[in-house]
Amino acid sequence: MKIRILLLTVFVGITFSLKAQKNEYSILLISDSLKVNANAVVRLNQIDIVISSQRNMTISTKRVITVLNEKGLSAIDAVENYNKKTTVKDIEAYVYDGLGNEVRKIKRKDFKDQSAVGSSTLFSDSRYVYLDYTPTQYPFTVVYESKLETSNTAFIPQWYPVSNFFVSVEKSVLNVDCPVNLGFKKMEFNFENFNIQKINDTPTQLSYTASNILAQKQEDYSPVFSFVLPKVMMALELFHLEDVDGSAKTWKEFGQWYSDEILSGTTVLSEETKAKMRTLVGEEKDPIIKAKLIYNYVQQKSRYVSIQVGIGGWKPMYANDVDRLGYGDCKALTNYTKALLEAVGVPSYNTILYGDSYKKDIESEFVSMQGNHMILAIPNGNKYTWLECTSQDDPFGYQGTFTDDRNVLVIKPEGGEIVRTKLYEDRDNTQLSSGTYSLSKEGDLLGEITIISEGSQYNQKAMLENLQPTEKEAHYKKYWSNISNLKINKTAFSNDKENVRLTERTEISAVNYGNISGGKMMFALNAYNQYTGTVKRIRNRKNPFEIQRGFTDVDEITIVLPHEFAIEFLPNNYELKSKFGAYKTEFIKKDNGSILYKRSLFINKGMYSNTEYDEYRVFIEQVSRNDNAKTILTKI
Amino acid sequence: MKDVRIGIVLFLLLFMSEISAQKFELGKVSLEELQEKLHPIDSSAAAAIVYKAGKTIFKYDYEKGFYALHECQIRIKIYKKEGLSWANFEVPYYVGYESMSDDVVKFSNAVTYNLEGTEIVKTKLNSEGSFKKNVNEYWNEASITMPNVKVGSVIEFKYILKSENVVTFPAFNMQYSIPVNYCEYKTEIPEFYIYKPVATGFVKVNTEQKYEDAFQGYDNQYRNSSTLKYKQISSIHTAESIPALKEENYIDNVRNYTSSIKYELERTRFPDQKVKDYSITWEGVAKTIFDNKDFGQALDADIDLVTDLRFILEAQHKTDLSQLEKLDVIFKFVQQKMNWNNHYGYYVDKGIKKAYVEKTGNTAEINFILIRMLKLAGISVNPVLLSTIEHGVPVFPNRTIFNYVIAGVEIDGKQILLDATNKQTTPNVMPLNTLNRFGRLIRKDGTSEEVNLMPKTTLNENTVLYVSVDEHGKIAGKCRIQKSDYPAFSFRENNKGFNKESYLEKLENSLNGIQISDYKIENVANLDKPIIESFTFVTGNHCEIIGGKMFINPKLFFTNSRNPFVKEERQMPIYFGYPKQKKYQITINIPEGYLVESVPKPIKIATGENVGLFIFNILPEGKIIQISFTEEINASLVSSDFYEVLKDFFQQMIDKQNEKIVLIKV
Repeated sequence: MKIRILLLTVFVGITFSLKAQKNEYSILLISDSLKVNANAVVRLNQIDIVISSQRNMTISTKRVITVLNEKGLSAIDAVENYNKKTTVKDIEAYVYDGLGNEVRKIKRKDFKDQSAVGSSTLFSDSRYVYLDYTPTQYPFTVVYESKLETSNTAFIPQWYPVSNFFVSVEKSVLNVDCPVNLGFKKMEFNFENFNIQKINDTPTQLSYTASNILAQKQEDYSPVFSFVLPKVMMALELFHLEDVDGSAKTWKEFGQWYSDEILSGTTVLSEETKAKMRTLVGEEKDPIIKAKLIYNYVQQKSRYVSIQVGIGGWKPMYANDVDRLGYGDCKALTNYTKALLEAVGVPSYNTILYGDSYKKDIESEFVSMQGNHMILAIPNGNKYTWLECTSQDDPFGYQGTFTDDRNVLVIKPEGGEIVRTKLYEDRDNTQLSSGTYSLSKEGDLLGEITIISEGSQYNQKAMLENLQPTEKEAHYKKYWSNISNLKINKTAFSNDKENVRLTERTEISAVNYGNISGGKMMFALNAYNQYTGTVKRIRNRKNPFEIQRGFTDVDEITIVLPHEFAIEFLPNNYELKSKFGAYKTEFIKKDNGSILYKRSLFINKGMYSNTEYDEYRVFIEQVSRNDNAKTILTKI
Repeated sequence: MKDVRIGIVLFLLLFMSEISAQKFELGKVSLEELQEKLHPIDSSAAAAIVYKAGKTIFKYDYEKGFYALHECQIRIKIYKKEGLSWANFEVPYYVGYESMSDDVVKFSNAVTYNLEGTEIVKTKLNSEGSFKKNVNEYWNEASITMPNVKVGSVIEFKYILKSENVVTFPAFNMQYSIPVNYCEYKTEIPEFYIYKPVATGFVKVNTEQKYEDAFQGYDNQYRNSSTLKYKQISSIHTAESIPALKEENYIDNVRNYTSSIKYELERTRFPDQKVKDYSITWEGVAKTIFDNKDFGQALDADIDLVTDLRFILEAQHKTDLSQLEKLDVIFKFVQQKMNWNNHYGYYVDKGIKKAYVEKTGNTAEINFILIRMLKLAGISVNPVLLSTIEHGVPVFPNRTIFNYVIAGVEIDGKQILLDATNKQTTPNVMPLNTLNRFGRLIRKDGTSEEVNLMPKTTLNENTVLYVSVDEHGKIAGKCRIQKSDYPAFSFRENNKGFNKESYLEKLENSLNGIQISDYKIENVANLDKPIIESFTFVTGNHCEIIGGKMFINPKLFFTNSRNPFVKEERQMPIYFGYPKQKKYQITINIPEGYLVESVPKPIKIATGENVGLFIFNILPEGKIIQISFTEEINASLVSSDFYEVLKDFFQQMIDKQNEKIVLIKV
C-alpha cells in the first residue's frame, strides 16, 4: 500500500507543473448520493441544437463524465454517426484525473473512423467516428465536445437527461434555437419524480435543466427505458430529408407527403409481371384470397437483404428492381408486394412502425418521423390484414411478436392514419399438451406427447420445424431439461398455416426418471411442462413491471405406473388464483391403475406497480413448486 | 489423454499420383442439379457447395516482382429457405500493408440458375449486387448478393484475390456449415519459392504434385514485352463428400477442427541471391520473430527503468529480497501502472518507451516492460509466444500462428508464467483465452523451447455450509465459499465494478431463490489471497414434506441437476479451460421430533486416466448429518474418445446429488 501512495504523489507532482488543472472536475466535488449505485457520473451533458433553416441544423454536445469504474466507460459515449448529409464539424476530448489535472488531450485525428455496417447489413453508406481511449486510472473525467451539422431536419434527436442505468446525473441541459416559421414543437414524457426545470419555452427557444438525478438500477421485467425515464421528443412542421422538403402538421399531411414525395413512382412493374400476377389469381374475386396468392408468390420468390441506401434508408427500391433481383429490405419487399397487389386490383398501404418483440408504439400524439420497420396493410372490411413481407415462412396475415399490438402509421395516398395492429389475446396464445408416459419398475420413462401451439406461442415454435436435427435435439433437451438421460426417439411436425397452428409430436425415453431408493420410487408427475422461468428477488424495487404477452398452457397427461408398485403418496389437487393469472392441477386415479394429470396455467398480460412485483414472484414460485410436486410409489 | 495435441488432426500433405481431378466448369449447370430436391447424402442440408475450385498462380511485374492471384470458383445449390443466406458471399481482404499495395478482390461470372418449367433460366449479377466496404484500417470486404435466388436455385460465381503478400496464402477452407460435394485447390509455384502446405481437420485430402516448365510474359523497364522462363511446382489437393461442420459445446475454437489447407512460405531461393529462410522449424520461427525490429530491438529499446525499479524495491524496506519477492513486487508494479489498450500482438506498436510514459500499450509493450524490469532485477526471464484461443492452435511451426506474448520466468528450476496486461492476473494465472495448449519460449540466441500453457491441478473452490432445518422444513444457516486461482480470477473478471445489491440478486437466483443476508466478501482487490464470500441465509424451497416425511437434497441449493453433455455423440475434443476441483462440506442439524430414516449411500467414482473424480460421503450421527462432496475434473482438454465416459460420469454425479435424505417424524 505504501508504495502506491508514494508513487501517486510523485506522478501528481510531475503533472501539476506541466498541465492544466480543472478543479471543478475533481471527484471530491461529487455529492455522495450521486455515487450510490453509480459506475459513472454525468457532471454535465449540454446539448445545444441550433436550427438555422429548414435545411440546416447543428447539434453541439459538451459532455463531462466522471467514470468511477470499468463498467462506467460506456457512459462516455464519445461517438458520432455521419453520412452524406451529416458531417462531424468538430470532435475532441480531454481527460482529467480524479483531482482534475489534465492527463491527455485527444484531437480529431486521434479518433477512430469506422463503417457503421454490422455483419447483418450487406451495405450502408453510414460511418461513425469514436473515441478509443485506454484509461490509465480510475476514477477519471472525460470532457467530450462535438459539433454535427446536417440537412436532415426531419430527425431532431430526442433528449434523454438520463440515458444509462447505473449512471447518475449532476446536470443535464438542453437548449434549442429555431426560426419562428418552421413550426417547432415538442412533447415531454415522464418528467414527474425527476428534478427537471424548464428554463425557456417560446416558439423559437426551448431549454431545460435537469439536476441531481440518482443512478437508476436495472430491474428485470421493467418496461423499456423510454417508458419510465424522462424524455423530450422534438420535430418541425417544415422539415427536410435527403434533398426533399416536407411539411406536415397532422398524420394525414405527413402520410400525404410521404406518399407523394417518397413513395410515388416506386411501384412501376413490367406488363409481363402484371400479366403473370393476373394469371396467378385467375378468376378469383375476393381481395383477401387474391392477396394470399400474391403473398405466397412473394415468399417463394424473394429474400430479405439489408441494404441501407437512398433517402436515409427511407425510400424503397423500385418494385421492378425487386422483381428482377428477387431481394430487398423491408421497405423494398413491402413496396413490391404492394405493386403486385395493385396489378390485380387489390389496394394496400405501406405501414411504418417499430418492429421489435418489445411492443413499442409510434407516438400518435406527436407527428414526426418515427419507426424502424415497414409492413403492408390490406383493408379487410373495417380492419386491416397485415403482411410481414420480409419473411419466407410467416402464415398470411400473422403478426407474431415482432409487429403485434402496437400503434403504427398507415400511409394512404390521401394521408396517414394511426392504427393499432392485431392483439393476440392471452387466452388465444395457447399451448395444449396431451400425451402419456409409462414408468417401468426400474423407473425408466417411455412417453409420447402432442403439443399444439397457437397465437403468439406459435411464433416461438414455428421455426422448430426447419431446424437441423441436432438443433431440434438441443431444443427438446432444453425444453425438457427437468428429465435427465432424455432421449428423443422421434419428432414430427405439422404446420397449419391456414389456422396458424403448429403441432409437434414427439416420442421420448429416459432411464431412471423415477428415483428408486429403499423400495420406493419418487418422481414429479408433471414431466412434460414444468415452469422453469425464475423471478429474482429484487431489493427495493423502483420500476413498475410489465408482462407484455399473456398465455395459456393446458396439459392432460396419462401416466401408467409399473405393476410392481403401489401409490404411497399423491400430491393434492391445487388451485391458485391471482391478478397475474390462474394455475390449477388435478390428479385423478383411474381404475386401471394409471393417473390422469391435468394442469392449466394462465398468465395475464399487464403493467403492474413496483410493489406488486414481489407478489408476482411468490405466485411464480408457487407454480414452479407445484409443478415439481413429487409422487411416491412403494414396491408391492 | 491429456496431451496438449489432443484432437488436432493435422498432416503434411502426402503426395500421391494418379488422382483424377474432376472436371467442373462454370456455366455448365445441369437439369439434374436444378431438379434435385434434397442433398443425396445429408437430407437436412439447407444448401450445399456442389464444387469449390481454388487456384493460386504467380504473376510477374518488373517493378514489384512476383505477386499472387488466388482464384476461386464456387457452385452452390439451395435446397431450403434457410439456405438462402448462401446467396450472399463475402471475401475480406487486407489493406493494411506498410510497403505493399492493398489486396484487390474482383468477382465475376456470377449467375443464378433457376428452373422454370423445363427451361433453365439464367440471371446474371450486375454491379448493383456487388459491394465493397471498409471494415477498418486493415481490412476491407467485398461482397455480392445474387439476384433471383429461391429454393431450388443453383448459383455460381468466381472471384480473384490479388495480393503482393506471398508469405502466407489465405487459408483455403474445405469445410462449411453445409456439405461440400467436391473441393480442389491447385497451386502453381515458381521454383524460387518453397512453401509448406498444411491441412487441418478430419477430412481426407489427396494431393498430387508435378515439377514442370513454365513461362510468362511481362513488360520490362522499356515497356517491351519480355518472357520469363522458369520451372514451377504445380500441386493439386482434392477432397470429396465433406460433411457439414456441426456446432458443439465445450469447444475451444471450432476452426481448429475445420478442414482447410494453408500454405506457408518456407524459404525463397532466387538466382544469384542467398537462400532466405522464412520458417521451417520452431527455431526458425523464433529467430525470424526475434530478428524483427519490433521484437528483438524493441525488447532492448533504450528505456530507463532503473530508477523506478530501485524505488519500488527499496520501498519494501528489506535488504535481502528473494527472487520470488522481487518478481512479485515488479509484476504488481507493471500490472498496476500499465493499461492494456485491447490490442494483441507480439510486436510493439508505439514502442515500450512511449508506452511506459503514456502508461498504456499493447500486449507486447506491456509484457516487454515487465521482462525488462525482471531482467534488470537479475531474474532469468524470456518472452513466451502464444496463440489465443480465438486465433487457433499453434501445432505446426509457422510465422503467423502466434498473436500474443507473455513473460516466462525461471526461478530455482521452476517456471512461472506472467501476463501483466490484465489487472486480475497473478503469477501462473493468466487470462482464460491464453490457455491454448502450448506456447514457445524464445531466447536471444535464437533457441527456443515449448512451454505447456495448461494450468496444473490444485484445489480451487471450497464451500462450507452449516444449516439447521426446522419442523416446517425451513432451512437456515451459514455459508462460506472460498475461491482461489482460476475461479478467483474469473470471479474478479466477471464482477468488475462490483455492485453488491445487483450481485446478491443474481446470486440468490442462481442458488435457487434462497434469501441472503449479512453478505461479506474479502480480498476482492488483494489478488494474492483467495476470494472469500460468507453469508447467512434462509430458504423454504429446499425441503419437501410429503406424507409426514422430509426429503432433502444432500447438496441443498448447490444441487446440480443438468448434465452439460446431452448430445449422443461427439467428434471434437472437450475443452474445460482449466482443471476444476470443488469441495463441499455440509453439516445439517435436523429438527426436534425427527429421525433420519435413510440417506444416500456414499460413493466414489473415478474415470480412467484420473480425468474425473467424484467422492460423496455422508455420516448421520444423532441430530447431525455430516456430508462431503469432492468433484474434480483434472484436465483442461479431453479427447472425444472419452466423451461417453465423461457424459456418464456427469450423469452419475448428478444422480447422486439428487438422491434424498429422508427424515421421519417420531
